[in-house]
Amino acid sequence: MSEVTLEIDGKKVTAEEGTTILEAARCAGIEIPTLCYHRALSPYGGCRICTVEIFRGRRSRLVTSCVYPAEDGLVVNTKSDNVIRDRKVLIELMLAKAPKAKAIQDLAREYGIKETRFKTEDPDNLCILCGMCARVCEERVGVSAINFVGRGVERDVKTPYQGTVDIDFDVCIACGSCASICPTGAIKLEDITAKKPAPILSEFEMGLDSRAPIYIPFPQAIPNVATLDRSQCVHFATGKCRICEEICGADAINFEQEDEVIEIEVGTIIVATGYDQFDPSVIPQYGYRRYDNVITGLEFERLSCAAGPTEGKILLKDGRQPESVALVHCVGSRDQNYHEYCSRVCCMYALKYAHLAKELAGADVYQFYIDMRCFGEGYEEFYKRCSEEGVNFIRGKVAKVTDEAITDEEKGKLIVVSEDTLLGKMVRVPVDMVVLCSALEARSDAEDVAKLLTINRRADGFFLERHVKLDPVATPTDGVFIAGCCEAPRDIPDTVAQAEATAGKALSLISKGTVTLEAAISTIDESICHGCGRCEEICTFSAPKVADKDGKLVSSINEALCKGCGSCAVVCPTGAVSIRHFTQDEILAQVSALTEAK
Amino acid sequence: MAEFEPQIIAFCCNWCTYAAADLAGTSRVQYPANVRIVRVMCSGMVNPIYVLKAFEGGTDGVLIAGCHLSDCHYIDGPTKCDEAVEKMRKTLHVLGLEDGRLRREMVAASEGVFFAKVIREMVEELKKLGPSPFKTKMEAPA
Amino acid sequence: MPRLKSSAELEKLRQKILSKRDPDRPTIAICSGTGCHAYGSEKVNAALEKELKKQAPKGEVDIRRTGCHGFCEKGTLVVVYPDEICYVNVKPEDAAEVVRSAIDHKIIDRLLYVDPTTGKKVTHQSDIPFYKHQNQLIFGNNRQIDPKSIDDYISLGGYSALSKALFQMSPEEVMEEVKRAGLRGRGGGGFPTGRKWQTTRDAAGEPKYVIVNCDEGDPGAYMDRSITEGNPHCVIEGLAIGAYAIGSHEGFIYVRQEYPLAVDNLIIAIEQAEEHGLLGENILGSGFDFKVKLHRGAGAFVSGESSALMTAIEGKVGEPRPKYIHTSEKGVWDRPSCLNNVETWANVPLIISGGAMSYASIGTEGSKGTKIFSLVGKVNNTGLVEVPMGVTLRDIVYKIGGGIPGGKKFKAVQTGGPSGGCIPEQFLDSRVDFDELARLGSMMGSGGMIVMDEGTCMVDTARYFLEFLADESCGKCTPCREGIKQMLDILTDICAGRGIEADIELLEELSEVLRDTSLCALGGTAPNPVLTTLQYFRDEYEAHIKEKRCPAYVCKDLVAYYIDPAKCKACMICLRNCPADAISGGKDTIHVVDQGKCTKCGNCLDTCPARFNAVVKISGEPVPPPLADDERVLVRGKE
Repeated sequence: MSEVTLEIDGKKVTAEEGTTILEAARCAGIEIPTLCYHRALSPYGGCRICTVEIFRGRRSRLVTSCVYPAEDGLVVNTKSDNVIRDRKVLIELMLAKAPKAKAIQDLAREYGIKETRFKTEDPDNLCILCGMCARVCEERVGVSAINFVGRGVERDVKTPYQGTVDIDFDVCIACGSCASICPTGAIKLEDITAKKPAPILSEFEMGLDSRAPIYIPFPQAIPNVATLDRSQCVHFATGKCRICEEICGADAINFEQEDEVIEIEVGTIIVATGYDQFDPSVIPQYGYRRYDNVITGLEFERLSCAAGPTEGKILLKDGRQPESVALVHCVGSRDQNYHEYCSRVCCMYALKYAHLAKELAGADVYQFYIDMRCFGEGYEEFYKRCSEEGVNFIRGKVAKVTDEAITDEEKGKLIVVSEDTLLGKMVRVPVDMVVLCSALEARSDAEDVAKLLTINRRADGFFLERHVKLDPVATPTDGVFIAGCCEAPRDIPDTVAQAEATAGKALSLISKGTVTLEAAISTIDESICHGCGRCEEICTFSAPKVADKDGKLVSSINEALCKGCGSCAVVCPTGAVSIRHFTQDEILAQVSALTEAK
Repeated sequence: MAEFEPQIIAFCCNWCTYAAADLAGTSRVQYPANVRIVRVMCSGMVNPIYVLKAFEGGTDGVLIAGCHLSDCHYIDGPTKCDEAVEKMRKTLHVLGLEDGRLRREMVAASEGVFFAKVIREMVEELKKLGPSPFKTKMEAPA
Repeated sequence: MPRLKSSAELEKLRQKILSKRDPDRPTIAICSGTGCHAYGSEKVNAALEKELKKQAPKGEVDIRRTGCHGFCEKGTLVVVYPDEICYVNVKPEDAAEVVRSAIDHKIIDRLLYVDPTTGKKVTHQSDIPFYKHQNQLIFGNNRQIDPKSIDDYISLGGYSALSKALFQMSPEEVMEEVKRAGLRGRGGGGFPTGRKWQTTRDAAGEPKYVIVNCDEGDPGAYMDRSITEGNPHCVIEGLAIGAYAIGSHEGFIYVRQEYPLAVDNLIIAIEQAEEHGLLGENILGSGFDFKVKLHRGAGAFVSGESSALMTAIEGKVGEPRPKYIHTSEKGVWDRPSCLNNVETWANVPLIISGGAMSYASIGTEGSKGTKIFSLVGKVNNTGLVEVPMGVTLRDIVYKIGGGIPGGKKFKAVQTGGPSGGCIPEQFLDSRVDFDELARLGSMMGSGGMIVMDEGTCMVDTARYFLEFLADESCGKCTPCREGIKQMLDILTDICAGRGIEADIELLEELSEVLRDTSLCALGGTAPNPVLTTLQYFRDEYEAHIKEKRCPAYVCKDLVAYYIDPAKCKACMICLRNCPADAISGGKDTIHVVDQGKCTKCGNCLDTCPARFNAVVKISGEPVPPPLADDERVLVRGKE
């Protein structure tokens, strides 16, 4: 690609051949106003605001910089008298066309235009016919749901046959590109389609914010790169767009990338698959998803985070600050109907939110607890501090959250109805916001993970450790370790400790270089074995394998895998399988001895 | 005639029930001495032949006890045991043995008291059922 | 008809056709262009054919339905050969006499053209002043050929230029010849044709396209229509020669929606040419392939703009694009495309046959050859006029056009359609060519020439053209879409008496902006009518604004119809003819126009008997109040 050198406003600018004057100027930091230009769309040259004066020798010409190619030796003046005069009149014309459009008003202000000398036909019109909506829909989205109809002043942006034919031409995919690219806010999606735009809810922001189909999951993501959500990406829906690929300076985007299945041979596996948040909407009386301002702990976390959707302000759904906040402990935990276990972390984070609600929003805080479990370093002290800060602690299980007001004071509020065991009666506490400390539960795919790795789950759904006291990070399956909340609800210090423990265990296993086998494992007498495969079928640990050995089908045991449970011996029809130290003869002998002895 | 004292052969899994029996002992929980324990690694290790052998030998009742479903060291031993017991019951039925003579239990390692209770209950049951029909030797015709 | 496989075969066919024709045989040529069609030429034709069956059943007399003759004021035109007797305003009832006169070689006196200046009748077509002062190099053939017959065209030497180009010249030589001839585009821009051809030839990309622009959107222009209706083969031949020079094998003829007869005749012509091996593969055995497709427009003036026309051919909405990269480099489907006007292509065979020098000997220094103008408006002889470049406006309007009807005074001539300007009397002696007209602030454009007299309001004319352009603007760019509309609003206000002083300045300012920033020439030249009328007729604008007066008595809101009570004879003719019942009066009561009801239709003025001449138009002054009732009684006595 060769380069061209031109002069813009007295400044020497070099650019790649093929770029336009506008792009070259922008790269050099010279701003030229535009209305119908967008770098993701092919240049249109419709609004004419970007007109500049170019000089070649003694001749000068007025051209639109968004389209005119940067040529070697060109002299460009973006603010000559002619340009300014023309631009001002064009702005006046547009001000007459769309007097309320903010983008035009801003331009007018910039160029010192207070009013327009021209007649306005429709004072409420916002559309300046820049065409970006139609162009993005055709060039990038690829469905052409809207386009120009009519000629001259009749020109307008419409859907096909809108209002004239009783057929639904609704090819719009409600992606909202037109509305977001429109410089004046003239596009209303409801005029184009009956479909409702569904913002893609950011998983990290707990649905409080939206995200694009291509996004970096969160600021501290590892790896800190963008990922593409194929189910939402317009390119995968229509075959067009690919703006991200064009914009990416590092050429990092590859639409043809496919999932790769990689096989790695390892000696140990550490399972750290985490937890799921219990969904409080299965407890209808708490009003989650029914009332706007009943939120979970994780949602409050995002509100209070300075990098979150509200920049650290605790806000209700309508944008106001709450004057009062209620925190409800043990939602879904310590509950016979849902999870009997305690989720361990909630008491402490509830205290943290109580403190933050006071600090960030100055709200009155009511904390509804059953017990305050402040077991760790500094935890009890923090509890005391919160109560000194004026957090109201109410001991009792919340019965329901409702918006049906009985008194005037309750109108417009969410009323938390709870027992107060210390007072010995039911209380009604009106608040603006209710935070539910919902349980930590095993992940929804824990069953599949357990099957895959042949580890077991406890009755509470979390993975089974080898010994609850003495071996909390190992599993009965050799070489598979578990750490963190996949094993049980844990807070951060404990999770970190567990992580280090599993790492240590794994390393010690690897560094040993050898694996100690179980003594009482299965063995096969190949002379009797017919290779029927029943042992292979029944083994949970995939230890027996039937294979051809010297022309005969026999089973053989992988001694590293065999745990010695004995199921294979039970189903073997020929008795070829026996468990060392627990052979059939040995047990039968025991039984005989026991029955004879009287 | 001395009161009939039934004999129970109990197949106990190493990790749970055997430990429970141990615990019952160390806790000084009293339970009848009618039981004879055979330690297996897992309740799924119990081969029907063992049960038949036990009845053949003249025992009055057989207990197969192992871990609870989610506690099994070998993941799904209890499930396999349950299936085997189902099949066994049919065979025993054909042989003329009452249902109450074969009992299937899940006893965790901590459930020493429960283990004792199971044994007590089984002894009571067997006392009611009487001696195993296999105990009576067939006399050759004179 | 087997395909002609060589130049020699073409010549043989030509001789064969000529040998079959007897130059002494009577032939009735009836003009069948759309103009005469509107006069009822179909009926005349039918009547003639009926008469021929009766009077000349053995085919002693030929009848030929030709293309437009150009003298559209006097349709239906019938010319009887071999004596070239020209009859004007022929009606079906005249058919029998016409046939008789053809057989007997007689002349029908009453159907001859009467020269209004001498009062004498003119017998031969070429003697008629309208024709005498023209130089019909391109248009003349229309009179001799039936556009639906390729044989007619061949008999006149048709396709010999193509044959010469293919066999005796290289593509570069053809290009050189056109360059040396100095041919400039006849569509409006006047761009040197040879240079455009060269750019296309040199541009990268295949295939290359050649395109005929027959969109002819200028109101009042119909030259291209008459050429394509009357002599489609000359356009096809020119196009093929151009394609050969450029290296193109595919051509498009874009015909506007409103020209169905042109479409029909072109389709027939293309078919016939293909049948004869003059189009398609291996033309005349030369190895050169060239095929032509017809594309119909869809009713948009803007599609006459070259880049918009090309998007229309691509199947998209006709919208111009900025032409910083020329369409000759990137045109239809981004391929090099050479677009020229119908008349430009029609000039090409002439240049090749007669040679560049001969062609360049006609015209002025900067503009060679002839140009066909459509002379319309307030002129006696309306029609299509072909003159060499350099003829004066005065000659066109007076010598050929026959001057202003009704003895009225010439005011201005508007050239170049909505992109052009009005040229006042003081420049009547200007020589018509591209550069001279541009110097006067107008342009040649496609050749429209509208003559205006004292009864034309120049402000209204400017308003009219802006109204046309506002409707035809594609709407893509702000200055054209919004600017033209605002200018139109201002002019409408001025014509309605609502104009203010600042309006003229605003119009001039807007004109500058439109000129500078419009995307295409529609917007870019839209201010021309306004600017030229402001330049030469500023006093009319000022009268409209300051005095609320229309000097030409045209703008309805500024004009009132008034019956002079001194002249009114209460004849009740105007009263009865008023469609708005706005005139009150009676047999002996002087008539009065109720200004509140009057719709300014002008019927009263038209119907008031000339000897009374009582109705006048008033502008710029208040209407005198009506006389009191008793004063309105007419006393009839000696006059």
